[in-house]
Amino acid sequence: MIVATGDRGTLGRTAVTCVYIGMTIVTLTFLALPIAAIFAHTSPANLFDQLSNPVVRDAFEVSLKTSIVAQLLILLFGTPTAYLLATNRFPGHSLAVTLVELPLVLPPAVAGVGLLVAFGQMGLLGSSLDFFGVSLPFTQGAVTVAVAFVASPLYIRQGIAAFEAADPNLAAASRTLGASALRTFFRIALPVARGGLAAGLALSFARGLGEFGATIMFAGSLQHVTQTLPLAIYAEFDRNFDATLAMSGVLVLISIALLLGLRIGLSWQASASKRSSFLFGPSASS
Amino acid sequence: MSRRRDAAPAPRRRLVAAVAASLLAVSVVAATAERATATARAQITVFAAASLADAFPKIDPSPRYSFAGSNGLAAQITLGAPADVFASANMTLPNQLHAKGLCSQPIVFTRNTLVIVVSKANPANVHSVYDLAKSGVKLVVAGPGVPVGSYTLQVLKNMNLTASVTRNIVSQEADVREVLAKVALGEADAGFVYSTDAKTVPGQVAVLKVPAWAQPKVQYGICVVSRSGNRQAARSFVARVLGRAGQTRLLAYGFLPRVKPSPPTSKK
Repeated sequence: MIVATGDRGTLGRTAVTCVYIGMTIVTLTFLALPIAAIFAHTSPANLFDQLSNPVVRDAFEVSLKTSIVAQLLILLFGTPTAYLLATNRFPGHSLAVTLVELPLVLPPAVAGVGLLVAFGQMGLLGSSLDFFGVSLPFTQGAVTVAVAFVASPLYIRQGIAAFEAADPNLAAASRTLGASALRTFFRIALPVARGGLAAGLALSFARGLGEFGATIMFAGSLQHVTQTLPLAIYAEFDRNFDATLAMSGVLVLISIALLLGLRIGLSWQASASKRSSFLFGPSASS
Repeated sequence: MSRRRDAAPAPRRRLVAAVAASLLAVSVVAATAERATATARAQITVFAAASLADAFPKIDPSPRYSFAGSNGLAAQITLGAPADVFASANMTLPNQLHAKGLCSQPIVFTRNTLVIVVSKANPANVHSVYDLAKSGVKLVVAGPGVPVGSYTLQVLKNMNLTASVTRNIVSQEADVREVLAKVALGEADAGFVYSTDAKTVPGQVAVLKVPAWAQPKVQYGICVVSRSGNRQAARSFVARVLGRAGQTRLLAYGFLPRVKPSPPTSKK
């Protein structure tokens, strides 16, 4: 009797395991197939050929330039924002966090409309920007703004988590030992959170590079000015499919490199912190 | 005791229930999809140039429509999109599909003219085609692959304005309605669209004429897609567009008769 139920249990477990394996294979195939198809359709030779295509080269340049500027802005403004939201609780805190997260779930087309009616010629701030002689739509500035809008939540969210995970005693000790708040931020909080911040930046960079909907609505599409890689993929789709495939391949490779770098970086950091806690753990507790 | 015996298999039972529920869900979804394809068999899909977005549903409201830049639609048909009829804003694209055996011999079903739309506020003071060459004018056009985009380039070439005006292009849009939207919103100062598009946003834009001598030959072509599962219905849709009621509707929306009136033809 007991043996029988045990057998049935093992059998059931094996069946369930088989279902899990089957489902996982379906999932992985489903996710990998489109990526594999891009590379099955294009040869490395075509990829290199297309890299000298002026449309591809210009798009690459525009994408890189706007992404770098956008990520610098995100670093500059996002880091203190994440620190403040992680270390302080104030009225409206959850509202602020929700605001930060909103662009993550917002359809990019909605972001585009929003940017247009906020910063556009007829927008809320359009006339005041005009006063300063700034007109955003159809410029690389507009692309940068669109990228920063959709990509920043990935960095700030990760930043909040990283700052929150740090031991508050470290900061407190630094302050009691006489370090200024600014010094504490740069010497304690930032170094402790740097792994999480780097991860956030990598994700934010990858998301920004793929930005499409908000850019095409707010910045338009013009080769060498506002046509980023995703916009060029769309524009070349019916004109030069080889170029479309090559640019898609490039974006896939960049995304893979970013994600792999992230994994390696994080596991390296995890093992490093384990080593350091092993080294410093006992002395700290004693 | 009995409670414990019940407790042990409970997770498994829950799993079975979950699997059963998901199987049910899958079969329901599959069944609905099947029904959807069944109705699709009766209802044809028409891929049509964005400029036809207002007129076509008035000619025949029953098909499923996909309005976009003709070039994008042609590319989708080449890649196997399930269209029954293709109505393009030029003859080049349907002719290319026909040459590849992807659609029937295209027929001209209407014609159009190009105009310049200027934003209502008109901050750049554009009052003629020649003003488009002034520095600082923000001009939007359609991409060169889009029919209206190539017509725009022809107008500029005919007027010898290519170099001076193309400098002022700030964006190349995917279809004519996006050009119109950017000007109607006041984001751009001016744009080249069909006269029929300009009429769809009265009061939001001002219209400047392009001289007749500089007008390109804007002919719209229609054909039945070879891979269509319902060519009978597709052909009757084409007949409807070419018929008197269809042509009258197109004229009402500002399109030109499909055959040019005789005097200019005899001049040729």
